[in-house]
Amino acid sequence: MEVTFWGVRGSIPSPGPATVRYGGNTSCVSLQLADGEIIMIDCGTGARNFGISLLAGAFGGGKGSATVLLSHAHWDHIQGFPFFGPFYVPGNRFTVVGGSRSSELLERVLERQMAAQFFPVQSYRNMGAQIEMRSVFEDRQVRVGQAQVTAHPNPHGPTEVMAYRIEADGKTLVYAGDVGYDERGPSPEAIALYRGADLLIHDSSFTPEDRAERLSRGLSSLDDAVEAALRAEVKKLALFHYDQDYSDRDVDELVLRGRRLLDARGGSHIAIMGAAEGLTVAL
Amino acid sequence: MRVRFWGVRGSLPVPGARTVRYGGNTSCVEVTSASGTRVIIDGGTGIRRLGKELMRAEFESGKGQAHILVSHTHWDHIQGLPFFAPFYREGNRLFVYARQRDDQNLRSVFASQADAPFFPVPFDHTRATVSFRELHDGARFEIDDVQVASARLNHPHIATAYALEADGARVAYIADTAPFSDILFGQEFLSGPTSRHARLGRADKATLKSMAAAVVRLCEGADLVIYDTMYTADEYRQFPHFGHSRPSDAIVVCRDAGAKILALFHHAPDRADAEVDAMLDGARAQAKTMAEKLDIVAAFEGLDLSLGRG
Repeated sequence: MEVTFWGVRGSIPSPGPATVRYGGNTSCVSLQLADGEIIMIDCGTGARNFGISLLAGAFGGGKGSATVLLSHAHWDHIQGFPFFGPFYVPGNRFTVVGGSRSSELLERVLERQMAAQFFPVQSYRNMGAQIEMRSVFEDRQVRVGQAQVTAHPNPHGPTEVMAYRIEADGKTLVYAGDVGYDERGPSPEAIALYRGADLLIHDSSFTPEDRAERLSRGLSSLDDAVEAALRAEVKKLALFHYDQDYSDRDVDELVLRGRRLLDARGGSHIAIMGAAEGLTVAL
Repeated sequence: MRVRFWGVRGSLPVPGARTVRYGGNTSCVEVTSASGTRVIIDGGTGIRRLGKELMRAEFESGKGQAHILVSHTHWDHIQGLPFFAPFYREGNRLFVYARQRDDQNLRSVFASQADAPFFPVPFDHTRATVSFRELHDGARFEIDDVQVASARLNHPHIATAYALEADGARVAYIADTAPFSDILFGQEFLSGPTSRHARLGRADKATLKSMAAAVVRLCEGADLVIYDTMYTADEYRQFPHFGHSRPSDAIVVCRDAGAKILALFHHAPDRADAEVDAMLDGARAQAKTMAEKLDIVAAFEGLDLSLGRG
């Protein structure tokens, strides 16, 4: 299983010289599985560059297929959808998975972003590819080729977001974006979903000090990510979804601090990394 | 009059090493008159940093006032508005101007951007006083000491160009628009180029001609014309139906209007810094034969121009 980061930023893209190393695009992660299946997790602006890379292969000729897992529909997780090139090639096939209450509602949510007043294509049905919607609100298991995908709703301010566990090729990836736990930390169900992951990609938008000022936003601090990694005994933690004002040096500092926190709490065997655009991790 | 560029990109923000010099934020330009009237044109992602800067002065204490002219509501022109900090401070007064809709009032168009499930803070939670002004085609009005004129553009759905005059200077903002050779507005989805197949009727030709003339009038004698020049000539041949112009289209308008400076604007997301440089060189070479007195710049984030008095 190969995991590639295409967008690692939270809330809004943050271009500029201060974000060149980690990247300023909003959330998008791709998975290449051994059986050829492709999974894209979230569709922030990073999806545009992922789409460009896919067009060089089967997707350019309308012979590609992939599964898109959406954590939720806040802009920074769907704003790349209208700019994902493979959607515009007839013949390509996609299944878009999300936590809306029904597949029809998921479709309506994505369709609102495409409406004529906001985007000239006016409907995802005009894009060309075959795109099917699938809600995991009730049935939280999805089979993608040999891979087993399990969804779990995490709290995110007044709403919920889907965390995903993907098991394939004898390895486990967990994506837990945009999560704001209550004072008890991750729920037992969340820990069960994360348990033993080879890589846990976890929201770590803020330092603990910055999160204290922004509690209402339903996002995690570095502490929350470290807590989740320790309790779920994962092998590697990837920090993700950095605040839009964090410079590359701020993120460097966040990763170092995470290393020290893990070490201080008996987690020196857990690896830690700062997710960065363009980085591929082979599991 | 002071003109500052906060976002110069079209379509979507493009962070990364390839766009560091010109900038990757979507459209936002700030115009302030010498007396302090503040007009912001478009609310792409560039408006976020402008908001942060404004919060270092009177907007922080809820005593700020700004006028936001929206060219149209495609995402790259409004997606920064929910991140504009002055909206969330009580006492600030913000006026939003855009062309009226037949089907929906402006407040609901803008408020829907902050609806669940898309954004965590509903528009009703903004603390500033926000007023919407619905404009008709060709509206002319005053914002304190700034005279504003407008004109309809040739872009899918609806788009409006603005000219602002103050301190003896004039700046025109012409985005987004295709050249005036085929009807793009008010259409259903256009899946491909149409002009080669469908011949325009007399009424359509007359509409486009008067639209082009109105744009030239907005730019008449302008000190600065900011123009959607997203496409190279080759790209335009492929995508004439997407609603964007080439530098040569802007040069012709500036020549006919006797404008002084043209700012290439709304750079394509794929355009790396060196490619914008090349586009600028090409435009300057073209202008030598077409409009030799015209100065041309390529707009970049942070470009700061003083025009007229102050």
